[in-house]
Amino acid sequence: MFLRFLNQTGLILFVSGWHWLAAGLGLGLTALGLAWFTGKRLGVTGGFADACSAVTKSGSSSGWKIWFLVGLPLGGLVSTIGNWSWTLAYGQFDALTYGDIWYKAIGLFLCGILIGFSARWAGGCTSGNTIMGVALGSKLAVLATLAFLAAGILVTNILFKAVM
Amino acid sequence: MAIARKTSRASKAPKKSIAAASAAKPEEISTAISPRSISIFILFGFLFGYFLSKARATSYDAIVDMFMLKEFQLYGVLGVAILVVAAGLFLTHRFKKPTLSGAALDWKLLKFEPKRLIGALLFGAGWALAGATPATVLTQLGEGKVFAVFTVAGIFVGVWAFQKWKPKDSSGNNC
Repeated sequence: MFLRFLNQTGLILFVSGWHWLAAGLGLGLTALGLAWFTGKRLGVTGGFADACSAVTKSGSSSGWKIWFLVGLPLGGLVSTIGNWSWTLAYGQFDALTYGDIWYKAIGLFLCGILIGFSARWAGGCTSGNTIMGVALGSKLAVLATLAFLAAGILVTNILFKAVM
Repeated sequence: MAIARKTSRASKAPKKSIAAASAAKPEEISTAISPRSISIFILFGFLFGYFLSKARATSYDAIVDMFMLKEFQLYGVLGVAILVVAAGLFLTHRFKKPTLSGAALDWKLLKFEPKRLIGALLFGAGWALAGATPATVLTQLGEGKVFAVFTVAGIFVGVWAFQKWKPKDSSGNNC
């Protein structure tokens, strides 16, 4: 009985995904905790920018976001450590790239450029604009979030309905 | 909006003291972070990555299903997270203690400019195509999704390119 309970808990903590209520609560409380304990405002793209500035030696930010970025992969590691393994998978996109690793690598690199460039242009990414910005009632953040979702829905539907 | 306005009003006093402190000390001080705060920021990054992974925001298929309107999961996650943050900030301001130390949150919100929506539309397309955002792509790395390496490399190039192209629009970001 006790062993079964331990096993269940282990699965929930280190293997499986959660219901949106629980996961959303966790994300919200993390963002709140960051504000409460450190006075900082959650934003991930800024961390990439700080890392760029650190390399090119321009700009004078405090760089706390770089340390926040270091924590993110650790969270992903622990969340899946129960059945962790390397994977080359790209979900349903594998069918679009014919499973070819060069298509995937070059495609994702180009998508990365698009994401980094446009996140700065939009004034923030999903963490800075959608979670923090909307919660603070910023007009830019609300409209940007609607634009994120509209473009995402459009592009995905074109890809999976028209192309495939 | 009310909270944001309150934040900027409340932050006037501490801003002065920050300005005074930085005037008295040389630039270098602002870039130094103590090991203790480094570990706190890593801990919050860890928690954020953990919950992103639990939300399945790092799953390529969950993102396709979200944009194909097949699954409510990620909309629910975002909605709950926004509500929790909004309610929490409302309460902490209500009780006049926005942070543990009692200092005000010194956050400026970006002004709305229509041209930023072009960036937002492109970001949505990138999110859909790469199945990742700047936060989830790093979490995917931790989960062992090898190809996230290429997305991460691309994001660095993209952020750097925008900084070169429009240094003014790059500073004071919401993110």
